[in-house]
Amino acid sequence: MLRLVSRRARAQWPLLAALLGVVTIGATLLGTCTLLVTRTAERALEVAMARAAPADVDVTVYTGTVEGRDASSVTADTRTALTSALAPFAVTTSARASTVLRALPPELAPGTTVAAQAYLSGLDDLPARAELVTGRWPQHPGDAVLLEPTAERLGLTPGRRVRLGAELAHPPVPALEVTVVGVVRPLSGRGWDRDPLAAAGSATGYRDGRFLQPVNAYGPFLVDLADLVTTGATIDRMEVTAHPDLSHPNRRDLEAAAGAVRRADRALAGALGDRVQLARVSSDLPLTLRAADDQLHVTAAVVLAIAVLGGVLTATALVLAGRLTAGIRADETALRSTLGTSRRQLAATATLEAGLVAVVAAALAIPASSALHAGLTHLSPLDDAGLTVRPASTSAQILAVAAGALVLAAVLTVLAIRPVPAAGDRRTRRELLARSGADLMLAVFAAVGWWQLYAQPATAGPPDAVVLAPALLLTAGAALALRVVLPALRGVDRLAYRARGLALPLAVSEAARRPQAVAAGLLVGLTCAAGTFGLALGTTWHQSQRDQAALSVGTDLALTLSTAPVAGEGAAVSAATSGTVSPALDRGTAVGQWLGTAGDAPRLVAIDTTRADALLRGRLDSDRDWADVGATLAPRTRVTGIAIPTAAPLVLSGTAAGDTSLTVTPRLLLQDTTGLRTSCTGPAVPLDGREYPLPACATADGQRLVAVVLPVSADAAGGPVAVTVTLTVPPASSTERSTDGSDWTATSAPPVPSKVRDPSVTLSNTSTGTALRMAATVDLGGADDAARTLVATAFPDPGPVPAAVSARFASEAGASTGSQLSVTVGTTPVPIVVTEVVPTVPSAPGAVAVLADLDTLSRARVVTGDLTFPVDAWWVGHPAGPGAAERATALHLGTVTTREAETARLAGGPLRAGLPAALRLIVPAAALLLLAGVVLHVTCDVQVRAVEVARLRGLGMSRRDIRAVLLGQHVGVLLPLLAAGAAVGALTTRVVAPLLVRSDTGAAPVPAAQPHWPWPAEATLLVVLLTGCVLAVAAVVTVQVRRADAAHLRVAP
Amino acid sequence: MSSEPLLSVRGVHRRFGTGPTLVHALRGVSFDVAAGSMVALVGRSGSGKTTLLNVIGGLDRPDTGTVHVNGTDVTALDEDGLSLLRREKVSYVFQSFGLIPVLSAAENVAAPLRLARVAPAQRERRVELLLELVGLADHARQRPTELSGGQQQRVAIARALAASPRLLLADEPTGQLDAETGLSVMALLRGVVESEGVTVLVSTHDAVMMALADRVIRIHDGHLHEQAAGQPYESTPDVG
Repeated sequence: MLRLVSRRARAQWPLLAALLGVVTIGATLLGTCTLLVTRTAERALEVAMARAAPADVDVTVYTGTVEGRDASSVTADTRTALTSALAPFAVTTSARASTVLRALPPELAPGTTVAAQAYLSGLDDLPARAELVTGRWPQHPGDAVLLEPTAERLGLTPGRRVRLGAELAHPPVPALEVTVVGVVRPLSGRGWDRDPLAAAGSATGYRDGRFLQPVNAYGPFLVDLADLVTTGATIDRMEVTAHPDLSHPNRRDLEAAAGAVRRADRALAGALGDRVQLARVSSDLPLTLRAADDQLHVTAAVVLAIAVLGGVLTATALVLAGRLTAGIRADETALRSTLGTSRRQLAATATLEAGLVAVVAAALAIPASSALHAGLTHLSPLDDAGLTVRPASTSAQILAVAAGALVLAAVLTVLAIRPVPAAGDRRTRRELLARSGADLMLAVFAAVGWWQLYAQPATAGPPDAVVLAPALLLTAGAALALRVVLPALRGVDRLAYRARGLALPLAVSEAARRPQAVAAGLLVGLTCAAGTFGLALGTTWHQSQRDQAALSVGTDLALTLSTAPVAGEGAAVSAATSGTVSPALDRGTAVGQWLGTAGDAPRLVAIDTTRADALLRGRLDSDRDWADVGATLAPRTRVTGIAIPTAAPLVLSGTAAGDTSLTVTPRLLLQDTTGLRTSCTGPAVPLDGREYPLPACATADGQRLVAVVLPVSADAAGGPVAVTVTLTVPPASSTERSTDGSDWTATSAPPVPSKVRDPSVTLSNTSTGTALRMAATVDLGGADDAARTLVATAFPDPGPVPAAVSARFASEAGASTGSQLSVTVGTTPVPIVVTEVVPTVPSAPGAVAVLADLDTLSRARVVTGDLTFPVDAWWVGHPAGPGAAERATALHLGTVTTREAETARLAGGPLRAGLPAALRLIVPAAALLLLAGVVLHVTCDVQVRAVEVARLRGLGMSRRDIRAVLLGQHVGVLLPLLAAGAAVGALTTRVVAPLLVRSDTGAAPVPAAQPHWPWPAEATLLVVLLTGCVLAVAAVVTVQVRRADAAHLRVAP
Repeated sequence: MSSEPLLSVRGVHRRFGTGPTLVHALRGVSFDVAAGSMVALVGRSGSGKTTLLNVIGGLDRPDTGTVHVNGTDVTALDEDGLSLLRREKVSYVFQSFGLIPVLSAAENVAAPLRLARVAPAQRERRVELLLELVGLADHARQRPTELSGGQQQRVAIARALAASPRLLLADEPTGQLDAETGLSVMALLRGVVESEGVTVLVSTHDAVMMALADRVIRIHDGHLHEQAAGQPYESTPDVG
C-alpha cells in the first residue's frame, strides 16, 4: 500500500503538491491565529499592565485617626501589608499624612474671634510635589516648610519658630514646636487635591468634622513624614500608596496580586487592629486586570472568527482539490475495484495518503505559522503596541496546527472514498435534493448565527456565535449566490447564441452548461466574499474605533483640570496647542430631583457652542452637524463687559439714605479672552460716601468685568433704604475700549428678591474711568441674615438655558423638544429648555446627558448671584501639530486626552492590536486559496478536455480561437462568481460587521458601528483577484492548448 | 472523376521520440486519391493509420514529404492556413465521435458553419438538412450524452459534412460501435460519397467497410500496400 502511495505520489506530484499546499495554508492560518490568541494575548496583557497608568494599578490604604504613639508602627505595618499583598512584584510605597488641627498662636492670625488652627502634613516625596520658593527643604526634626499662601497669610518667613498648641477636639497632647525653613509652591497635578485644604493654604469657617464650630484653618506645615509620625501628633488621615513594578508581569502573578488586593481589607484590619479607627484599601488593580481580560476576550472572539473563516475557505479549497483528484483517479479506482480491491482497502490507501499529507503539512505549517506570526508582530499595529516577538512555537499552536491538518486530511479521505459522481452535465434528482438540503441548512444556521449576534446584550461581551457567524453567513451567501449565477449564465448563453461565430457562444456554453463544479464555484465566490468582507470589516472596525474615540473625548484635545483654572490659563492653553480653546464643564448633575439610575448620574456638558463646529466631535447620525446643534444653543450676543487694566485697583463707593449703617461685600466676575470667568471678592465696604479701593482682581491681560454682586448688610433691622453704589473701573489701554455697550442689567438675587427693590444700573465714562452706578431700595426688615443681594450683569437674564439632550436622556426623563427642566450645577438649579434631541452628547457616550452653552449656563447662574464658573477642563479643537498634546501636558494643568491618542489606544492598544493583525491574514489567505483553486480547477479541466481541444482544431479552429474559447469560458464563470462573491461580502458586511464590533469593554460601541465599504480598496482587491485569476487561467490555457496536439487524438478514448 | 487527384501524398516520413524510444510511424508513404471516391485505410493498431490521417488533415506535420489536398500543399501551410484548410476543405470524423459535450446535436452540426460565419438562416437550413440526412432530425436538441453511440457518430458525420468539405477523413468511425450500428454508419458514409460527392478516406478494421470502399490501402509498419477492393484483409498481397 505504501508502495502504491509512493509511486502515485511520484507520478502525480503536482496534484499532491497542490493538496499539500492547500492543507498547509489552512493549518498555517490556524496556527497563526492560535498564536495571536495565546502568545500575543499573553504578551498583550503583560504590556498593557506594564503600561497601565499608576492610578489603575496602585494600591492605596486610607487610614483615619491614628494616635500619635501608633503612627510610626501603623505606617510601617501598612507598608509591609501592601508589599506582601503585591508580592512577587517589587513595590515602591509613598505615604502622606496630616494631623488633626492644632491651635495656632493668636498673634499669627489677629483680628478675628474665630479660633485659628493649623495642621501638619508629612509627605514622602515632597520635593517632587512642590517647588521651593525660598529657604530650604526640611532636613532635621522640627523643620517645616509652608505653602506660599499660608506663609503670606500668617506672615511667616524662614527662620520663624511656631508653637502649635492643643489638638482640636482631642485629649490633651504636648505642644509642638516647628521651625519654618522654607516656603514652597505646590505643583499642579501632584496630589494636592488630597490636602485637607486642597493646597489653598487657609480656609475661613472650616469644619473638619471633629468640631461643630467652624474654625479658621491654616496649613499645612509640611514636615518630613518620618519626623511627623514620631512627633506624637494624632494623625487625622494617612494614605499609603503602593506602586507595583509591573515591567515584567505574568498572568499568574497578576492574578495572585489582584486576589490579594481583593482580600487586603481583611488582612489589613487584622494587621492594624484597633490602632486605627478606619482603614480601607482602594485599588483599581483587580478591575484593570479584569478589563484587560475582557478586551482580550473580545479580540480573541473576532480572531477566532477569522480562523474559522480561514478554515472554511481551506476546507472548500480542499473539497475542490479532493474532487479533482478523485476525478483524475477515477479510472485507477475503477481498475483497482475490478482487480478485487475492497472498499476498506481503498479507504485505507486514501487514509494513509491523507495522513501523510497531514503530517507533512503540519510539519511545514508549524514553522510557517511561527514565522508568519512573528512577521505580523513586526508590522503595525502589533509592532506599535510593543508586541514584537521572535518566531517560536507553543504547545497550543502545535496542537491547533496538528488538529487542523488532521481535520483537513479527514476531508480528503472522505472525498477519496466517496463514489465519484456520474459523468454528465445533468444532476440527478437525489443530488439536487441533497444540494438544496445543504443550502437550506446553511441558510438556517447562518440565520441563527446572525440572530445570536443581533440579539446579544448591549452591555455584555460577544457571544460565542461571533466565532461562527461570519463564516456561516459568508458560506451560506456564497452557496445561494451560486444558485443565482448559474441561471444568469444560462440567460447569457441564450443571448450568446445569436452571435454568428463559434468562439463566443461556445465559451458561454462551456461556462453555462458544463457539469458545474459546485466546489470550484463555491470557492471562487466564498474567497472573494471573505476577502471583501475582511477588508470591509477592518474598515468598519477602525472607523468605529475612531467614532468611539471622538465621542468619548468629545473634542480633539481635552485637558481635564486638576485644580480650578485661573484667568489667562486659556491663553496659555491656546498658545500651547494653537487650536480653538474653550473652557468646558463636564460633570454629573441632577435633573430636578432625579439623580439617574443605578449610579449612572446624568451628565452635563457645556462649552462655547458658538464654536461647536471646531470643538465638538462625535458622529451625529443625521444630516445635521455640531455647528447646527451649536447654533441652537449659543447665545445671540456675546458678553464683553468693561475692560479692566491688569493690576489696577477698582474703586468702590456708596451711599445709603438715612442713618442706617450699611456695608456691601462686592464680588466681581471677570471674563478673560477665552471666555473663562473668575470671581473676585473684595472686603466689606461701608456705604459712607467714601471711596474704597478694591484688591486688584485682574491678574491677566484682556479681562473684562461682566457682573457685580453686592450683598448688602446692615447692623440693625429697619425699613426700606435707598442705596447707591458706584464701581469705578480705571481706563484700560488706549487700544482697548473700556465699554462695548453691553446691556447692563440689574436684578435682585434669590431667595428673597423682594428684599432689593427697583434695582438699576447705569454706565458712564468719567475722568477716572468707567463708572458703574448701581442703585436699589433695600428692605432691612425681617431676619438679620436675610439675603439682600443686588446683582448687576453685562447681559440680561437669559431665561431657561437652551439644551440639547441625548436620546437616552429623552427616553429616560421623558423629555422632548420644548420640555422645560432644571439641572443642578454645583448647588444652583438652572432651568433648561430642550431644543434638540441628539443621539448622544460628546464626551458622554451613551449617557443620560445634556449639552448646553457654557456662557449661557453661567449667565443663568450669575443672575441668581452665583458667580462660580463651573469649569472642569479645557477643550481644544483643531490643535496644531503632533506635539500639541505634549505641550499641553507640559503646562501641568491636568490630564491631557486627545482624540488621536484615544483612537490609537482603541485601535492599536496591545489588548486590541491582535484583531486588525488577524484581519490582515484573511485577505491574502483568501486570495492565495482562490488562485490555488482556480489554477487547480483550470488545469484539471483543460487536461481532461485536451482531446476535445485537439478535436476543435480538427474542426478548423485555430489555437488562438481555442485559447479565446477556454479563456472566455473560465473568465465568463469567474466574473459573475467574483461579482456575486463581492455582493455577498458587501451584504455580510452590512448585516454582520457592525455586530462584530465591540467597545474596549466588550459592550456595544457608542456610537453604534456603521458598516463601511471601502470602495477603492475593494475595487483594487477585485481587480487584483480578477487579474490574478485571468493571468493564471491564461497561463494554464496557453500551456495546455499548446500541448493539445495530434498525439491526444491518437490516445483518445 | 477528374484526372487530377484530390489527395496526393508523396514520400511522407514521420517519426516520434528519439534514441531507443524512436518510432518510425510513416516510412516514405506515397499515394493518390481521386475525387469522389471512398478509400479504406486498413492496418493493425500502431501501424500508422491515425498518424497518416493527422498528417493529411494538417493536425500533424511530416518530417519529410508533401501532402496536397485539392492542389493545396498542406505541409507548406502555417497554423492559420491549416485551420482554414480544415474549415473549408478537410473534415474529420473521429472514432470516439468527438462531439462537443455541452452543445446539442444541432449546435454540434452548426459548429463548422459558425466557424465559416455562415448566415444564421442559411446555417439553420443546412443543419436541418444534414440532420435529416443522417436520420436525426428528431434529436436536434439532445446533447451527446443523451444519444446512443451510433447516433453520436451520425451527428459527427453530419458535422463533418456541414461545411461541404472536399475530403472527409474518418478515423475508425465504427470502432466503438456494435456491428449493426457500424454497418449503418458505413452505409451512411457510402451514401454521402454518392450524394454529396465528397472524397472519403476512412481508416478501419471493418471488413464490411472495406467491402463498401472503392479502394483499400493497407498500411503496415509505416509502409503502404494497396489491395483490390472487396478482398479479405488477411490475404491482401503487398503492392509496394
